[in-house]
Amino acid sequence: MDLSAFEADNSVSCRLTSPVPDACRTEDCCLGIDEAGRGPVLGPMVYGICFCPVSKKEELKNLNVADSKTLTEAERENLFLKLDKAKSFVGWALQVLSPNTISTNMLQRVKYNLNALSHDAAIGLVQYALDCGVQLKEVFVDTVGPAEKYEEKLSKRFPGVKVTVRPKADSLFPVVSAASICAKVARDHAVKGWTFAEDLGEVDTDYGSGYPNDPKTKSWLLKYLDPVFGYPQFVRFSWSTAQTLLDSKAFAVHWDDDEEDGEKGAARQKNTSMLSYFSHSKPKGHSPTHKTHRFFTERRLQNVDTF
Amino acid sequence: MSGCVTVQLSSLNRADTPQLHLLPCEIEHDGSAEVSGFFTPAVKEHKGEKSVSFRGRGLRGQEVSCPHGYTGVVLNELQRPSSDEEDRIVKVSSVFHNFTYWNLETPPTSDDRIMMAMVWPKLADVIHAPVEG
Repeated sequence: MDLSAFEADNSVSCRLTSPVPDACRTEDCCLGIDEAGRGPVLGPMVYGICFCPVSKKEELKNLNVADSKTLTEAERENLFLKLDKAKSFVGWALQVLSPNTISTNMLQRVKYNLNALSHDAAIGLVQYALDCGVQLKEVFVDTVGPAEKYEEKLSKRFPGVKVTVRPKADSLFPVVSAASICAKVARDHAVKGWTFAEDLGEVDTDYGSGYPNDPKTKSWLLKYLDPVFGYPQFVRFSWSTAQTLLDSKAFAVHWDDDEEDGEKGAARQKNTSMLSYFSHSKPKGHSPTHKTHRFFTERRLQNVDTF
Repeated sequence: MSGCVTVQLSSLNRADTPQLHLLPCEIEHDGSAEVSGFFTPAVKEHKGEKSVSFRGRGLRGQEVSCPHGYTGVVLNELQRPSSDEEDRIVKVSSVFHNFTYWNLETPPTSDDRIMMAMVWPKLADVIHAPVEG
């Protein structure tokens, strides 16, 4: 699998695609959607679609595709090669969401949660297939969240397409298994061949599984923790594992949109806490005789006579 | 009465000229940071607009020059006197003529506080200039 388009800039989201088989443009098609790398605190999350003519469902099944989680890495690689060889009737497309994309979106001023991010990636891929002229009739989706709502959302978004959202769809429908294999292979390659944007010298690549509960992953996170910058962009800062470690081992960082409660937060933001009205000391303020012009206060410019 | 502050001008020649970054957050730390290891290499530039992330938050940045005729300096006091009366000696540890100004998620604009503040020296010149005619 060629990941060079993603590797050229692994701080953003990237789409990788196979050629679209001619048969998919002329015949009714089915399409499967699955993801890989949702849980890990390290590396990208990959959304994958795989599609083929409905008439070729049996042929796809005969490739012995199965849920990627039940396969070894070598078996997945092997099956991906088989899928790639079946390019006369099988097409695929992937959306690689970099860990930096995940962090910055989830921690955005207006929060963009992982579910919304996932749904949008899936919708974007289905739309891509439609835009390529794939004659979509059936879509099968694996889900971790509530299936009914998601199914309704997708059905509304793609009228004329029969959408089936099912937990464990990756073991029920071969076209979803195929999508899960493409996604997982891409995720494995991306993690293995990760090029750090940061200048960290020789990086220890013994990350473990990337899952927060893996001791190897945890010790890697501790090893590469920087007290100022936190982590390299390979880490999803929005994961509680990463946040908890930073809270205890890194310098505190405050943003203007932080939700801070209490007197300390208010004092830091130079607001007056409610509690201060109950204390005896009056808040210190500027002398009433001299009022600075708005021009200066707006620019935070002030006279300084000492350091 | 407090003592006076002396800037060691001789230190100016030995001052370094680092690339400075002004971040839109407060870091509870006063000291060194691995800027060249963790930050600078991750900065992406596209059509004059810079982007990077810090602690998982997206930043958008722009190069800002010091106002014409001004030089930026970073002053460093090696030893702070124990009383207010004593004189203080500070040295110039860095000199800069421009810096990168970073905004949280939105691209910097001329309406941002720091951009507007840079206009003041020019305006000050104008209002303090002799009135002609």
